[in-house]
Parts: sequence; structure tokens; C-alpha cells
Amino acid sequence: MAGIQTLKIGVSGVRGIVGQSLTPQLIVGFAEAFGTYLGGGVVVIGRDPRPSGEMVLNALMGGLLSTGCSVIDVGVCPTPTVQHAVVDLAADGGIAITASHHPSEWNALKFCREDGVFLNQYQAEELLNVYHQGAFAQRPHHALGRVGSDEGAINRHLSKVLAAVDRDAIAAMAPKVVIDSVNGAGADCAEGLLEKMGCEVVAINDVPNGRFPREPEPIPANLGQLREAVREHGADIGFAQDADGDRLSVVSAAGEAIGEEFTLAFAADVMAERDAPGPLVTNLSTSRMIDEVGARHGREVIRSKVGEVHVVETMIATGAVGGGEGNGGVIDPELHYCRDNLAAMALILQGMAWRGCTVGEWAGSFAPAAIVKEKLSCPAGKTQRAVLALVRHYEGREMDLTEGVKVFFDDGAWMHARPSNTEPILRVIAEADDHDTARWLCDEALELARCTIC
Amino acid sequence: MSVLSGDLSSASKPLKITIAGVRGVVGETLTPELLVNFSQAFGTYAGPGKVLVSRDTRVSGRMVEPCVCSGLTATGCEVVRLGVCPTAALQLAVRQSGAVGGIAITAGHNDARWNALKFCREDGIYLNAKQAEELLNVYHQKEFTKAAWDELPPVGRDDFAGERHLAAIREQVDVEAIRAAGLKIAVDCANGACAQFTPGFLEGLGCEVVAINDDPELPFPHEPLPTPPNLSQLRALVAAAKADAGFAHDADGDRLGIVTEAGEAPGEEYTLCLAAEMVLGRGDSGPVVTNLSTTMAIDGIARKYGRELIRAGVGQVFIAESALNYEAAIAGEGSGGIVFPRINYAHDSIAALAHILNLMAERGEPISRLIAAVPKYAIVKREIVCPPQRAYTVLEELRRGLDVPWASEINLDDGIKLIGSDRWVHIRVSMTEPRIRVIAEAAAQGLAMDLADDYVRLVERKM
Repeated sequence: MAGIQTLKIGVSGVRGIVGQSLTPQLIVGFAEAFGTYLGGGVVVIGRDPRPSGEMVLNALMGGLLSTGCSVIDVGVCPTPTVQHAVVDLAADGGIAITASHHPSEWNALKFCREDGVFLNQYQAEELLNVYHQGAFAQRPHHALGRVGSDEGAINRHLSKVLAAVDRDAIAAMAPKVVIDSVNGAGADCAEGLLEKMGCEVVAINDVPNGRFPREPEPIPANLGQLREAVREHGADIGFAQDADGDRLSVVSAAGEAIGEEFTLAFAADVMAERDAPGPLVTNLSTSRMIDEVGARHGREVIRSKVGEVHVVETMIATGAVGGGEGNGGVIDPELHYCRDNLAAMALILQGMAWRGCTVGEWAGSFAPAAIVKEKLSCPAGKTQRAVLALVRHYEGREMDLTEGVKVFFDDGAWMHARPSNTEPILRVIAEADDHDTARWLCDEALELARCTIC
Repeated sequence: MSVLSGDLSSASKPLKITIAGVRGVVGETLTPELLVNFSQAFGTYAGPGKVLVSRDTRVSGRMVEPCVCSGLTATGCEVVRLGVCPTAALQLAVRQSGAVGGIAITAGHNDARWNALKFCREDGIYLNAKQAEELLNVYHQKEFTKAAWDELPPVGRDDFAGERHLAAIREQVDVEAIRAAGLKIAVDCANGACAQFTPGFLEGLGCEVVAINDDPELPFPHEPLPTPPNLSQLRALVAAAKADAGFAHDADGDRLGIVTEAGEAPGEEYTLCLAAEMVLGRGDSGPVVTNLSTTMAIDGIARKYGRELIRAGVGQVFIAESALNYEAAIAGEGSGGIVFPRINYAHDSIAALAHILNLMAERGEPISRLIAAVPKYAIVKREIVCPPQRAYTVLEELRRGLDVPWASEINLDDGIKLIGSDRWVHIRVSMTEPRIRVIAEAAAQGLAMDLADDYVRLVERKM
């Protein structure tokens, strides 16, 4: 590879580095493609607080207006707030300006359809075709769209989260919560939500300026400051957000980063207690803890391909009671079909209140499991070859070939190898009763894949 | 009188990228890509620093403005949006605010299908020919400055540029005299950029105001060009309201048209004549600057006050730069765009209006009498649609075949101008549209029309 790739145009959106690949030209082109794809109507746009967000917003507005679409700017807000607003405002589509967990120099466009769900793979491919064909709708001056703004999107989103949660139970518990918003989109609203639920809140990195003081991905390696703050303040729980408010991870009262896989396990444990019927849905790479949740509550667990839209479409198709992904993205269908870390916080605090337990005790209620996540740089043309080699190697074992290859071993251990949707890498994830076994399973697959592609 | 022959659509695509800016039809040529590219080119050329952005009332401005802001921001320029205001207000604000430049989003007098970017340098004057060529080179090279993520300034707002502009005009006219005159003034703002400024400004000068087309949210009620064919509504209003005068703005407040208390539209050439009467009469020092296509009447006025008359090329930038270089008392064009160097080096229709009111108040005469005092000539303006790739060849062929006994001088500074003792004709290529313009002036209307017809026919024969 000639150098680090700074532009990614794919079914999960458009992502690039500001000042290099993410130019106004590229953005107006995609805005015009999206406006052409929608055939007019109203598009909701929100953004995370990266300093490049306003430049991207302006380019999007220009491109969309020229195709006859009108724009409603909902300002700086979490990505799920944009998705809610598309539905609330009866819009025809939405765009979230966020590079999610990527560093500050990145930004990206994520496209939503009229039901507030991201474009699925087929729709995204259609959009890409429109973009590449370049024959955009060009409307005359009297048919151009208009720009409006909506300041109420965050409050409506928070109201829905508050209405769906047992606020009294949480207020009675009056937990002390440290929230690390990584100076991202969730900064103000998370603090507001926690206070309204009756928590005592200590906020760190709560200035929504897009200058991230840590890597925005909420994985244990990035949570040193939060762990310290939880211990220092004697808090009951610590929450870490990502930059655009869709993923969450939890730190226990002891200051331990228990890992982002627990976020969905806890939230699913609460959603599964509901009266509503339906299975739990997650992706192939998510911890087996959700199977334990399913068994506890008599719910089937259905696994989809990795990616928010795959999980969401499976949830809609199966009428799921809850869902999400092991990376800390919780989807509560009572609110909306989107990953939402505000909803996740509410569910987890309600679960603690109802159980009267600590984070550590709740985590201890699950059978011990260790998950190891690795990645291998892999030329785009060779990922399938690596997958095939793994399929051959593990022939005779139970396998799931829905996406890449997932191999099941004894004692509930598994290994999942799949090409990334967003980067030229092969992701390898393994889970087992203990860390050494998971590590061994992961390393064996990595070594096999490496031999195949080199 | 403006007569357009030929069909625009068959002549060429509606796009003009020239030293006068980039101008196109929305939905056809003026695409978001073009706009962000030009804005990045300007940011690369003028930046880093503050760049002010204004627009007129065209609805397409709402699409153009974010494209411009995005392109400028991407180069690291700090954008300040002035919103809807006259272009002269932007030009003044650029000079006063330490900005490195400005972009006016306006197609001036063109109809609503068009929009354009006009680029100002740090002194508020449009880019001159050399500078505009440099900008075009940057545009064509496409190697734009790309600021890193942490070098992108937020977009700012300045909602008071229009008011500061009005205050600057007020300082230069005799407000007490105008108040004392108690004038009743009709004004047609063409629903353009002056709509939210002029009526209030006139009230502040003690005028009784009757305003029409003063809603910036509505489309242009007529072509936003203050020439007599577009002034029928204003003429009727002046007559019905028994106003002392009527004034018409174009879309972005650079040109002014006049209607007399008798409801007559004498033509936009008189705007410069009356403004010059005021400025020279009060003793502002310096010569008068105008362009090659403007009436001979201004020669007479300059002579009356013992001033030199300097004729520059057609277009605001030539007029403004000459006004600056020659330290002119006043500068302006027969199209109704006047520069008042004490205020600003910009075509400024609100300033022109204020000065003509000042003249009416000071002389205590009806505007028809002031106009009657101007030396009398008839001027005829014609246009021929011509593909841009043909225009200069047509003019060159015309020049080679010329044999004009009545002309004592042939000026080739901007097209061809044939000058006689009592008449002239000017044939030039428009900078803003794919057209050749023929302007003829003579003491009598019939002669001027014959002259214009002759040369329109000659041009058409060369095509």
C-alpha cells in the first residue's frame, strides 16, 4: 500500500481526513447525490462537535438545496438525535456529520432514510451509483430548497429516553455517576439526562469542542482518566461516551473498566425483562453473554452481520425486544432503531436500581468470559482468501458463514474472522472462558490468515 | 431603450467566468461544485484572514451562500456572513474591518435565474483585471490551500454592515436641508437588497416615503434593472401619490433609476448627471470619472465646474480604480451606478439617491427642472446575442472595415468607440453576458436610433 488511506467511500458512508481527502467538492458531490437519490424533500442534518463540522454542514446544505431538497439543521448533537429527528420531523432523510470514534482530523457523512435508520447495503450502493454517475438533479432557482433550523431535537430525544425509564427507581438509588464525554456530541445532553434521572453527576471532558482528550473509542485502554475519576470521587459507576453518542462503556465502582461488551449485556438484561415478546438481536462478533441473557429471560438470540443497519433490519424483521452490538452500541426499539448511549445509560441505571446491585455484582452474575479482539492489515483483494483458508482449516467444526467465518469450539468458545466494512483489515475476535484460551484461538487464526495473504 | 435580438440558449451555455466574476444560471451552470471551487480559489488567493460574504435577495443565494462559506472555510479563511445587504455595504465593511477580501453573491441586474460571485480585495474594490486573472489561474490550477481540521475557524455573523453603510452615507449629505425640504419620495426596491434599508433611510431623512416592491422575501417584480421599460409601476405610483420624485434600485443596490414628479422616466444616464451636479456644486475637489459608453451630457457638467473628465473602461472596477488613482470628486457610469469617493469606492445606489435628494433640497427645484438643466442628448442602447468565441473576431472584422467620415476620433480602449462632435457610437463586448452592446448618442432621438440601427446591422452582418 502506497500510504495510509485517508478516504473511505463505502456502504457505511463517506469518511476522510479534513485538509486532505474530505474536501468541499467531495461533500457537495455526495450531498447532490443524496438529494438526487431522495428525489427532493426534507433532509435533517446534525453534527458532532468536530471543528470541521461547520465546513461540512455548509457544503452539504449547498449541495442538497441545489437538488431541490430543503434542510433542517439540528445543530451539534449525538447521531441518534439526528435519527430521532428524521422521524419526529417527518423528514425524507437525514445526514449525521460524524467520524464517530475516529480521531479529530477525520470527519464523515452517514446517511439516514426516512424511517431514521441508516441506509442498508443495497440503498447505500444505489447512492454510490448515483454519486459515481454524476448526473445530479439540478433545480432552477424557483425550485430550490430552503434552510430551517430546529433547536428542540436534543430535548425531544431526552424526553423520550426519560419517559421510557423508571426515573423514580433511579432517583431513589441516587447514584453518583462520573461521565466522560470525550468533549464529544454527548457532552451536554448526557449530563442533563443523568441529572434529570436524579443522579449526582461528575462530568469530565464535557466541553463539546471536538478536541478529543483521549481516543474517542470507549474501550478499556482509553479510559484511564475515567477510572481514576470514579475512584477519586467514590462514584457508583463511570460512563464513557464516544464522540457522537452512539457507543458506551462502563467503569465499575472499583474503578475497573469492565469492557464495552458488558454494555449490551446489561442493557439487554433490562430490555428482556419487558412484557413485549420478541427475540434479542446482536451481531456475530458480540460476546456470548447475550446468550446467557436470552436463557435467563427465555428469549431467542438472533445474530446478524456486523453493522448497525444489519442489526436494526434484523430487529425490525423479527420484532425484537432489544438489540445492539458488542462494541457498546445499544438499540432500544421502544425509543428508536438506532444505537443510542443515552438510552443505554438509562437502561443500565434502571437495571442497577431494580436489582439493587453494583456494577461489579451485576457483571459477576455472568459466567466468566474473556474476549480478545485483533486486526490484521490485509489488502482488499486478499481478505476472502484468508477467510477461505480459515474455513478449510477448521473443517469439521461447527461454523457460521453468514459473514466471514465464525467457528465454534468446546466450552462455548468461538472465533470470528471477517473483513472490516470500513478499513482494509481482517478483524479476528475470539471468546472463551479464560483469557489465555481466547488469546490462543485468536492468535491461531491470525497466524493462518497472515500466512495466506503474505 | 434596450432591444435584444437573437436567442440566448442557442448562443452559448449561460456561464460567464470573467474578470467581472463568475456568473451562471442556477440549475444549469452555477453548480455547487463550481461555487466551492471558486470560493476555495479565492480563499487560496486572498487568505488567510477574514473574508466577508453578502448576498442579494435572490432565493438561489440561500444555496450559493453555504457553498461559498464551505469553500472559504476549507482554506482556513474566517468567514463573516453579512446576510442580505447592498453590495456597497459589503465593500465598505471589507475596507473597515481589516478583512482580506469579500464575496458578494449577486447577479446585479440580471434576472432571477442568474446568480454570480463578485470578488473584492481588501480595500473593498473589485479585483482588477490583473488580479482577477491571477484568481482564475488559481482556480484553473486547482491546487487550493487545504487547512487542517484544527485550523478551520467558525463562521461568524455581522448583522449591522447595512446600517453602518447608511450611517456613512448620512455623514456626507446635508441631512438638515433634506429634512427641511419635506420631500415625498416614491421608491421601487425591486424586492432586492435595498428593500430593508432604503425606506427607513429615507424616513430618517425626513421624507414621506411611498415604497413598493420592498419585501426581500418576494421574487423580483420585474427585471431588476432600473431602466425606463422597468419603471412603469413606479411612474404610475409617483403620479398617483403626487410624489416629488421616484427612485428605483436594482437587485443589489448599485444602480439607481429616476422618475420625475411628472411621472416621466428620463433614463438612467441622468443619475450620474444629477449626482455630479450635487458633488461638483458643493465643491468636492478632483476630476470626474466615467466610462466610454456614458452620455456626453456629463462632459458639459464637468466643463461647467471646470473639471477634467476622464473616461475609463466600462465596468465598476475600472471606474473605482480610476476614481482612486485620479482622486476623483465623483465617478460613475451611464447605467446608473455612481461612486462617491468620500464614502466608498463602490457603485452605490443609496448614496446616489441621498445626493440627488440633497440636490433637490439645496436647489429648491422640482427634479424635472434639474433634469431639464442637463445638456440634452438622446442615447440608444442595443444588444446583439453573440457566442463568446465569436465576439472579439466580429469586433475586429468590424474595425478593419470601418470608414466613418463623421468621426474625428476612434477609441479602441474597450471595443470600438467612434466619436464625432455631436454624436458617438460605442460597440463593445459585454463582460457579464454573451452579448455585443451598441450604444449610440446624438442630439436628436432619430439620429441616435439611426446610428444604433446602422451599427447593429453591421455587427449582425459580420456574424
